[in-house]
Amino acid sequence: MSTYFPRPRTALRAVVTLTALLAAGISSASDAIPRLANGKPDFSGIWQTTSAADYDLEPHAGRVDAPSGAGVVEGHYIPYLPEAIAKRRENFENRLTKDPRLKCWTLGTPRGIYYPAPFQIFQRPRDLTIVFQFGHSVRTIHTNNTRHQDERDRGYWLGDSRGHWEGDTLVVDVVDFYDEVWLDRSGNYHSTDLHVVERWTFLDANTIEYRATLEDPQVYSRPWTLSVILHRHREKNFQLVEDYCFTLPYEEHYPPRPPQQQAPVASREAR
Amino acid sequence: MRLVIRNTIHATMASILAGLLPTVIHAQQAASPGSGLSRRETTVPVIARGEWTGPRLADGQPDVSGHWSNTIGNHNSFEDPQGGGRATGPRQARAPSRVSDPADGRIPYQPWARAAQHAFAANFNNPTEPWQIEPLARCAPGGVPKSFYWHGYEIRQYPGYVLLLFTPGTRIIHLDGKPHLPENVKLWNADSRGRWEGNTLIVDVRNNNSKALFGREGDFASENVHIEERYIFSNDGKRYNYVATFTDPTVYTRPWTATIPARRYTEADEAVRHGWDYETQPANHDGPELIHEREERICVENNGPFGGGAVGVPLDGPIISR
Repeated sequence: MSTYFPRPRTALRAVVTLTALLAAGISSASDAIPRLANGKPDFSGIWQTTSAADYDLEPHAGRVDAPSGAGVVEGHYIPYLPEAIAKRRENFENRLTKDPRLKCWTLGTPRGIYYPAPFQIFQRPRDLTIVFQFGHSVRTIHTNNTRHQDERDRGYWLGDSRGHWEGDTLVVDVVDFYDEVWLDRSGNYHSTDLHVVERWTFLDANTIEYRATLEDPQVYSRPWTLSVILHRHREKNFQLVEDYCFTLPYEEHYPPRPPQQQAPVASREAR
Repeated sequence: MRLVIRNTIHATMASILAGLLPTVIHAQQAASPGSGLSRRETTVPVIARGEWTGPRLADGQPDVSGHWSNTIGNHNSFEDPQGGGRATGPRQARAPSRVSDPADGRIPYQPWARAAQHAFAANFNNPTEPWQIEPLARCAPGGVPKSFYWHGYEIRQYPGYVLLLFTPGTRIIHLDGKPHLPENVKLWNADSRGRWEGNTLIVDVRNNNSKALFGREGDFASENVHIEERYIFSNDGKRYNYVATFTDPTVYTRPWTATIPARRYTEADEAVRHGWDYETQPANHDGPELIHEREERICVENNGPFGGGAVGVPLDGPIISR
């Protein structure tokens, strides 16, 4: 008898082990994402989209100044109010000279996230700090249970960002914007009344789904949502290389040079 | 044209700075709340390198995160931090030079470089050429080392990184041992590789474009400068000294060392949104504790009158084609 009993036990043990493995396999999908010591997803890293979102959020065929793209707007089109569509058309006509990015102005929220340059997230339990390579501007997303400032007159380039966690999704409420900002190179825009709700969710350890819902009663007839995928930079020794950009017109004048090298413009070109 | 001033350099501060001589600026600082009384210290505390006995972060770094500001003046003068061109009274009554070596407190310039510094200082108040304009007046980053005696700043720490958030400018100090950028890449905030030894953060600084200059008297380095920084923190967490050795055979006759004292600011200090040392505001929340938070700092216009129409971010017209 003793020789019989082990068999079913062994079989049972195998089933139990298999079940445990399956359970581990299922849970590893969520366990595999990086987490802070407090268990929250850890978005630390250098990220960038591969989408054509910054060229035009809406679907578009290829043109002189933009590669083709299927668009990143849910429902394809931004629901402009009738009185707002004229400004969007005017922006589009003047896009090669009027896009604020061409003046190296801070790109704003959400544009900085899908602009085709890397940004780095530094994360602590109390906040996430985003440093953008373009312009080297800094955005703080507070995750310490603080609310927006009561005064909404600051006109921030990147907004007043307050985040909280819904499961493993970081939900960020952003208000108090400056309005001389475009959403893309094609002239999509918003007003100071913009209200953004972002949702940041890991798809896997190296991929984030970024969704942003934009509400702006001065410009849009209803809230609308865009979505892009962000990829982690994993190249060896990859780092941000500051790109202040707006300093370019005067960089050649500094610093003073030794007498034999006092031809700053020429020396720059020679390099 | 609409005047665009966003949060970083507020109109109030612009008006304080605009057109006032250095000595008057000091008087203004002392007269407004939170605006620089601490910058009137006339001595530099001695903080020895040694063990760190204070709190640590989970990754083992000494926890020095928070707000800091220098204690002996601003960027009017590097070698006479509370002086500048119009200072009166005995030199000994003011804080010592930021140059701690050599002992005479002077940057050991080569003759051509001292002449260039003098030329900048002579034209500062009435610039007629682009090179005579202090880059801060154009919203340029403060760079190394000017960022440490301009506005207060925040240190945030992470595994592998120390982040320095200045007004204006940001430095990412890499602690993970990756190599410097190739030497032809020159940056306003340079390229920083750091490590902790006891109470001291040691940072190797290369790739500095040196375009920021050191302040209103035009002190400077070249793009060949190598800077070794030591941030020496006191174990009570209240002070640190920035001690940096500058080596640059293009500009100097010998390596020299700067010492810049700083103190910490916390919720025990007054938050002043548009002050100098501790530019924060109380956070809006339900908890009983006071939380001071830093605002977005993006400079659009700064110190216009210095430099005859100098502005930072261009208001009209493209400057890039990418």
